Amino acid sequence: MEAPIKGTVTSLSSLFPVEEAQKASKRVEESITERQKQLDQLREFAADNNTLINLVQRLPDQLHHEIMVPFGKAAFFPGHLVHTNEFLVLLGEGHYAERTAKQTVEILNRRGKALEVQVEAVKALMQDLKAEASFFDATASEAADGLVEIREDYVEETSTKEASMKGTVKPELTISSEAENVPSVKDEEYDRILSRLAELEKEEEEAENANQEELGEAGSDISLDDVILEEEMKSSELKERGESRFQSTEKFPDNWHVQGSKSTSKDCIVPENCLPENLAYGKFNLTESAPREPQAKEDAPREPQAKEDVKAPVIAEAKADALPTKPGFDSSKAFTGSIIEHTSDVNSREQSVSHSSKPVSRFKMQRK
Amino acid sequence: MASQTVVRELQCDLENKADDLSKLQKDISKNHQIRKKYTIQLGENELVLKELDLLNEDANVFKLIGPVLVKQDMAEAKANVKKRIEYISTELTVLLELWMLVWLRNYSLHSISDLLILGAAN
Repeated sequence: MEAPIKGTVTSLSSLFPVEEAQKASKRVEESITERQKQLDQLREFAADNNTLINLVQRLPDQLHHEIMVPFGKAAFFPGHLVHTNEFLVLLGEGHYAERTAKQTVEILNRRGKALEVQVEAVKALMQDLKAEASFFDATASEAADGLVEIREDYVEETSTKEASMKGTVKPELTISSEAENVPSVKDEEYDRILSRLAELEKEEEEAENANQEELGEAGSDISLDDVILEEEMKSSELKERGESRFQSTEKFPDNWHVQGSKSTSKDCIVPENCLPENLAYGKFNLTESAPREPQAKEDAPREPQAKEDVKAPVIAEAKADALPTKPGFDSSKAFTGSIIEHTSDVNSREQSVSHSSKPVSRFKMQRK
Repeated sequence: MASQTVVRELQCDLENKADDLSKLQKDISKNHQIRKKYTIQLGENELVLKELDLLNEDANVFKLIGPVLVKQDMAEAKANVKKRIEYISTELTVLLELWMLVWLRNYSLHSISDLLILGAAN
């Protein structure tokens, strides 16, 4: 391993105590229900307005209508509705105006538009509140699980292969990069990473062929499921101790939690199972944006693309909301935030991958 | 010994401040409610003015005073509504200033009480 990197380990539960997060999420839920009621009320008003418009339009069709006139609280008597084109419209604040049917309909239409505007405003509020609520829920569950945030300064390293993360109980990893630490590219490192990617791709194809039936669709593109498989195989090789536990792919998206951080530049998104190679990929991501244009290697664009395909849907998942999928990696739209990963049983993961076409296809669908 | 009396004094202070704080909170919430009401009324009056402007000059306008619908002059009605709008806006600004004052007091009291708590803890 390289020279020991100084870092801080902070338990998430200390930053965001579990009960507080839960309380906050409850509060937000309450406000959501309030807004929902408001929304329903406004929708009722809009519906009433529409029925009224219909009625007002139908009344002038006849000179007089035969109706049952209400008389007191519990009586009616038959009568006629005359002057069918004259309406006294309430303008508000106790002011009435005499108008014809057409003019009344115009007034009602204007009112309807104002209502629509209000409905849109309340909907927007609801969206924000829902996003808040989901964030609080995620934080609460994380804190309850005992996640730990590990922050390390990014140090430019010459060799990263040996960076072996010991499989401890639930190792979590957050890689956040500060802008000032983004190093300049070292060509040897880059080449090494590329060759590594080539290896991985070969393995993916093998794995793909092996699991063709189970996975169903096997596109010519490097798909996320293949990468997961391949990485899982790698990790199973590397982690013979089997102490590290990977969570099943079913829960895979849940592990990629967004933690709002102060990092200004891009953060690395790393496939969890390739922990030994994490730093390599992490650096790859960090550095690749800079040299991407100058390095006009043929492989280079394709392989970063492959990796980006992997990362992009994972980013999309990590956001935990319905974000549009970004098949290409755009540095200007880079995700700035830190990802906290979970790792759990390899075994359960293998099992779930073998008969989990659902999460696999979910990734695929997300990518599309 | 001396520290104990000091602590007790601090606690009394803290209680007083807590009472003041709760009073202020009530004031703030009342202020909010009144302001909300006024804001809604202002919106409604503006709507009415818009509609009145769209009417012809000879259209009949009535005002509901109690159980009586009284025919009003168009110009008169418009003037009334405009005056009401002005009145409500001035009320709103006054209330806003009051709210700012109360809120500032609330904030300062909060900070004082926090300091007292810290002092008492020590």
